[in-house]
Amino acid sequence: MNSAENTSSSNILSIKNLNKIYNNGFHALNNICFDVKRGEFLVIIGLSGSGKSTLLRCINRLHDPSSGEILFNGVDVTQLKGQKLRELRKQAAMIFQHFNLIPRYSVLSNVLMGRLSSTSTLASLFSQFSAKDKKQALEYLRLVGIEEKASLRVDQLSGGQQQRVAIARALSQNPKILLADEPVASLDPATCHTVMDYLKKVNQELNITVICNLHFLSLVKQYATRVIALRKGEIVYQGHPSEITPEWFTKIYGEEAREVHVN
Amino acid sequence: MKTYNFFSIKAIFFDAINFAVVGSILTVAILHPTEEQLLSLHRNALVFLIFFIVGSGLSSILISCCYGKKQSEIKKIISSRYKTLGAHLFESPKYKLNHSTHSFFSTVWGWQLLLTLVLVFITGAIQTHFSFGELFDPQGLNSASQLFRQIASPDWSILPIAVLKVIETIFIAFMATVLAIPIAFFLAFLSAKNIMKHPLAFAFYGLMRTFLNIIRSIEPIIWAIIFSVWVGIGSFSGMLALMIHSVASLTKQYSEIVESVNEGPIEGIQSTGANLIQTIWFAIVPQVVLPYISFTIYRWDINVRMATIIGFAGGGGIGTLLNQYSMRAMWPQVGCLIVVIAAVVWFMDMASAYLRESLK
Ligand SMILES: Nc1ncnc2c1ncn2[C@@H]1O[C@H](COP(=O)(O)OP(=O)(O)O)[C@@H](O)[C@H]1O
Ligand SMILES: [Mg+2]
Repeated sequence: MNSAENTSSSNILSIKNLNKIYNNGFHALNNICFDVKRGEFLVIIGLSGSGKSTLLRCINRLHDPSSGEILFNGVDVTQLKGQKLRELRKQAAMIFQHFNLIPRYSVLSNVLMGRLSSTSTLASLFSQFSAKDKKQALEYLRLVGIEEKASLRVDQLSGGQQQRVAIARALSQNPKILLADEPVASLDPATCHTVMDYLKKVNQELNITVICNLHFLSLVKQYATRVIALRKGEIVYQGHPSEITPEWFTKIYGEEAREVHVN
Repeated sequence: MKTYNFFSIKAIFFDAINFAVVGSILTVAILHPTEEQLLSLHRNALVFLIFFIVGSGLSSILISCCYGKKQSEIKKIISSRYKTLGAHLFESPKYKLNHSTHSFFSTVWGWQLLLTLVLVFITGAIQTHFSFGELFDPQGLNSASQLFRQIASPDWSILPIAVLKVIETIFIAFMATVLAIPIAFFLAFLSAKNIMKHPLAFAFYGLMRTFLNIIRSIEPIIWAIIFSVWVGIGSFSGMLALMIHSVASLTKQYSEIVESVNEGPIEGIQSTGANLIQTIWFAIVPQVVLPYISFTIYRWDINVRMATIIGFAGGGGIGTLLNQYSMRAMWPQVGCLIVVIAAVVWFMDMASAYLRESLK
């Protein structure tokens, strides 16, 4: 991928005519086109079932797109296989609504999982991560403010803390972009802001592009630099969060929706 | 006959088999065929087939009387009186909602069930030569009680060899289990649906499942006979027999555990760019390791019991000794062996239950 890296372009990601049809025939993404600039904090909103998770999982190829192009640093990633696919996943780290950590492992071990793709299979099976990796992992834990929990089992942490471990795991991959699939949907409102603040920190201090699926419009206005709204697998809005008017809101969420505030 | 949904095919198949069994039994009862006639497999299979066909015809007529065929009536039962046993068993839940309240004896399925049970029971009694006369025959009772008395006064002088041989049996079971673990561990992933998603892999998965089912349906005692010809009579052949059986059983149990794992960690590890082996090792293995150990200990426990039986077929250990003594009617010695076996089985059972409890 390095050879084709296109530094002259300011787009880190460029999606063209992306379609996803599931095996059961369901058309989950319909001709999606958009670009993402380096350093953006792009938020994707939409009702549940509108295709947000599908879109993110097409970008890091946890799902295979049916047609269209996904240019990541100028390279189409839709057909990648094997080592190149794993390299893509390493560079496009992901965090999840349910954290997807390994419950029986320590916080530090979980963060080190981010180094798997850069460690030989044999060494990783015996958990032989380099001293540098461990030091880095601890630094990322400090960045998300839970360094002192490094040796605890991760399932003893609260939801918000687990999501911060997941962020640290993602960071230890040294990603170029961070995909966040409803990172705060299973957290209470107070914790919700803490986690979003760390994502913003990652975005601004480490200069990592973030694409984040969100539910609440109030959060969108606070964190996003740009918004895309999905409805039934199609983009119905693209623009700056401050431009979202009540008309747009009903268009995105349907007539019966009321804006929900979270503080 | 019009449109059948899946339930009616299953129901008709059930009824047809039912009818063929009952019909065949009645034919034998009425015609009293000779030994020679009973051995004519071709003709008897033909009779069975004819009954099967008649039965399926009868069943489909009755079922079509029961359920509405038109789209508007599809959820209605027109007359549950004529419902067959097959229909009663396999009808889809949407019909079960509007049950009518006929009593057992005024329905087809009620009589069908009763007739089948009575006939099958009578046939079973004849097949097993069931006889109260034999059971309470004074002479037979007398020799049985003598045998019991001898067994109940064990000859403790053979205790040293019994202990030696039971240790051999425990180790036969132990080796069979231990050697089966790595093989089953590896095969389990190849026989788990959630790992073998790729179409090619899925075909291999189907092959694995069939292969394992065949291996598992061959009793260990058959394997013991095969291996005693192959490597000679003794504990080695017994161990190999149990190992083969354990591989098949453990693979099935392991793969079911793998299939029930939480997908979240798998997705999480995959998203870091980990390869397949790393994903299995870090996302799946931590989830399955405790249930694996639990099933493995239980397998060892089962293997100790099976190793005893296998000894009868030349598999070595205490089973072989038991076979030798009982062939020579040395009942007090047999009594000693029975006590030793019972003690070991009881102990293994307790120990494995304790260990598995601690793993919860
Ligand atoms: N594996 C799948 N197979 C078939 N349909 C799916 C699958 N995953 C998701 N879908 C469907 O695709 C649509 C979009 O799902 P998703 O991307 O999860 O939406 P969101 O994340 O916005 O809630 C939903 O209607 C969902 O039912
Ligand atoms: Mg989703």
